[in-house]
Amino acid sequence: MHLLVIYTVDGVVNGMVYAAVALALVMIWRATRVVNYAQGAMAMFTTYIALVAIQHGATYWLAFVIALLAGFVIGAVTERVLVRPVESRPPLNAVILTLGVLIVLEAVAPMLFGGQTQSFPVPVSNVDIVVGSTDLNVSPFALFTVGAVIVAMLVLFVVFQRTTLGLRMRAAAFNPEIARILGIRVGRMLTLGWGLAALLGALAGLLAAPATLLYPNNMDEVLVLGFTGAVIGGLDNPVGAVIGALAVGLALSYVSGYIGSDVAPLGGLVILIAVLMVRPQGLFTLGRQRQV
Amino acid sequence: MLEVHNLTVAYGGVVALDDVSFSVPDGSITTVLGANGAGKTTLVRAISGLAKARHGSVLLGGSELLGRAPEAIARLGVGHVPEGHGIIGELTVDENLRLGGLWRRERGEQRTAIDEAYELFPPLLTRRRLQASHLSGGERQMLSIGRALVGRPVALLLDEPSLGLASNLLALIMRRLKALVTSRALTVLLIEQNARSALSVADQAVVLSLGQVAMIERADRLAGDDALRHAYLGF
Repeated sequence: MHLLVIYTVDGVVNGMVYAAVALALVMIWRATRVVNYAQGAMAMFTTYIALVAIQHGATYWLAFVIALLAGFVIGAVTERVLVRPVESRPPLNAVILTLGVLIVLEAVAPMLFGGQTQSFPVPVSNVDIVVGSTDLNVSPFALFTVGAVIVAMLVLFVVFQRTTLGLRMRAAAFNPEIARILGIRVGRMLTLGWGLAALLGALAGLLAAPATLLYPNNMDEVLVLGFTGAVIGGLDNPVGAVIGALAVGLALSYVSGYIGSDVAPLGGLVILIAVLMVRPQGLFTLGRQRQV
Repeated sequence: MLEVHNLTVAYGGVVALDDVSFSVPDGSITTVLGANGAGKTTLVRAISGLAKARHGSVLLGGSELLGRAPEAIARLGVGHVPEGHGIIGELTVDENLRLGGLWRRERGEQRTAIDEAYELFPPLLTRRRLQASHLSGGERQMLSIGRALVGRPVALLLDEPSLGLASNLLALIMRRLKALVTSRALTVLLIEQNARSALSVADQAVVLSLGQVAMIERADRLAGDDALRHAYLGF
């Protein structure tokens, strides 16, 4: 019973990081119908930027903000400079392109930041909280991780559902041609959408790095698991993606706890393949396809 | 005034519109009639910037529209009710209406325009919080026209609003449209296959045939002259 609690807490905390990645993938998928395979590499890159800032004397919080802003810029520039020109081409072009960005970022990172594994700091302790003599099995950093992702999701929800900017972005994503004849600058909305998605990815990178440690491929597994969560939920469904990512986090935590930590990454791939074979549209799409 | 001069549009090597010229005076309705493939939809798409013109000129109140992006043309006062209404089914009725006026800066103005759209088409008001995909065909058409009007257009392009509508509903929408043209000096280009209903509201008719202007005539004269109507419209 005690172990179950520990594994569940771990699963939720990791699941929230996967959820941030999953949500970023969903945002880009909905806006431009592209799976951004470079999402993880972008997050690795921005986490390195945060580390460099800290090494130059910045506080953790300043570095945190710098990384998020860098994420926004990298996402926006990628859309504007690389994705936009292939927009009207077959979708595979954009997919290959994001794979290219992934390869370039993972190749350039060791040149700029060194290829060796580095530790990444936490803003608050990652030692379990103990009340009296009871170990609560949760650290302040774990709580921070969960809280930060929830806050980010709430902010995005409010922006998308309650502001005119969000309405414009949704219209641009659902039907770009109609949005344009209504006077909406669709190009700007797509750039903004990629920027916000990469900002969310950067947050995931900052939260994952203390545990995974920082090296050029440190986000690869997080990306695969976030993608699995998004596919489980249906790439079109933000809520489904978050639930899917939490399910992946829990499943992997139980697998590594009860079976062995070496098989955990394999577990993620098994789930991904199973979902793609049985229900490729996702579990939460209710079979309702996009209609014109 | 909306002026179309020598407009030519080609897709690849296929000429869809060939040297088309006509003009729509302020506060009047011009209907564009013609068979499937005559180039009617291409004409409105070229005016609103969705189709690239090979050459020619489209002037609205004297400013050139050709060569501008669709969003810029919308901001110059062109409202487009696209073929198949083009409402965004994932958004609510109210959100669809709001989209029509979002590019305008003044919030108060936006709200007034939305209230006017609900006044014009009361069935939309009771369904304002509903996802637009749940609307009936007639309601979708009302929403699409209402949304275009929220942008307070100078010129309104309607691409086959009669498609899939019951005739009494169509008559109602046409009456509302006619009233707007008079009260706001709206310039309307009405694309139709349903020539009978279009001729009953229009001031002028342009008949397109295989991408070329076959005839420009006053609507009442075309509707009243059996020989002419039979020759060009086949009824």
